[in-house]
Amino acid sequence: MSEAELTGGCLCGAVRYRLTGAAPHFGACHCSMCRRFSGGVFLAVEVPAGGLAWESGEDAVATYVSSEWAERGFCRNCGTSLFWRMREGDAMALAAGSLDTLEGMDFTSEIYIDRKPAAYAFAGERKRMTEAEVVEAFGMADQ
Amino acid sequence: MTAGGCLCGAVRLVAHGMERELGACHCKRCQRWSGSALVVVSVPAEGLKVEGRDAVATYVVPGRSERGFCRTCGSSLWFRYLDRPDATYDICVGLLDDASGLPLTHEIYIDEKPDGYAFAGEHRRETGAEREARRMREESAE
Repeated sequence: MSEAELTGGCLCGAVRYRLTGAAPHFGACHCSMCRRFSGGVFLAVEVPAGGLAWESGEDAVATYVSSEWAERGFCRNCGTSLFWRMREGDAMALAAGSLDTLEGMDFTSEIYIDRKPAAYAFAGERKRMTEAEVVEAFGMADQ
Repeated sequence: MTAGGCLCGAVRLVAHGMERELGACHCKRCQRWSGSALVVVSVPAEGLKVEGRDAVATYVVPGRSERGFCRTCGSSLWFRYLDRPDATYDICVGLLDDASGLPLTHEIYIDEKPDGYAFAGEHRRETGAEREARRMREESAE
């Protein structure tokens, strides 16, 4: 399924994209920045280098530089949370809910699990990493 | 009194009379907008003070609903129906400075949730049809 082509877009339909070559899984980030940006529960799909192509509405994509090294994209018309990405390099994560379907994709990781409010939790077992574990593994704090 | 705000800090919310429980909506529209389930807490319209309103943009389905977001950082702020007299604000839980003590007690549009994830715990779960039927019953009772 690594060569599968997926499609997605924002709520109002202004922004549409094609995602090629993404691994068939998604993860949750519970850091306070992702929670504020998305409104609560940020699920995202890793975008391989060059894997994302805007089909329409690229001019409707607004970005907000949220830290020294990362930025977030949203639709300026409807406010859909679209992505997180590094300002330099290729690392990018696309909001899972913006995909037309998540069928066949597995939920494989939760990061910043110690920042998740106790009020809700995802059922099931998967890799879970605390903030300290993420910083140790990737060498970055707030994103 | 509960406070919260968007990622960039342009919009701050102060809520009085906020409910002490969370609800999640799994409809595809909420999924697209927020990135997954939209998890919210209800605040009566008269209890919500919005600071930095100039930074608030809204996406409106005329006569139906409104979604508020920060035009600077894109943070999802709220959802509310426009066709109800009380026009309660459903505030996105991610904005709250402190979300402790707010259990998730109900999920709606569970039939539109992708199979890949689910919230843990036993609580009320309604399909979209059940949710809309309940909404109509509640409106006719008002």
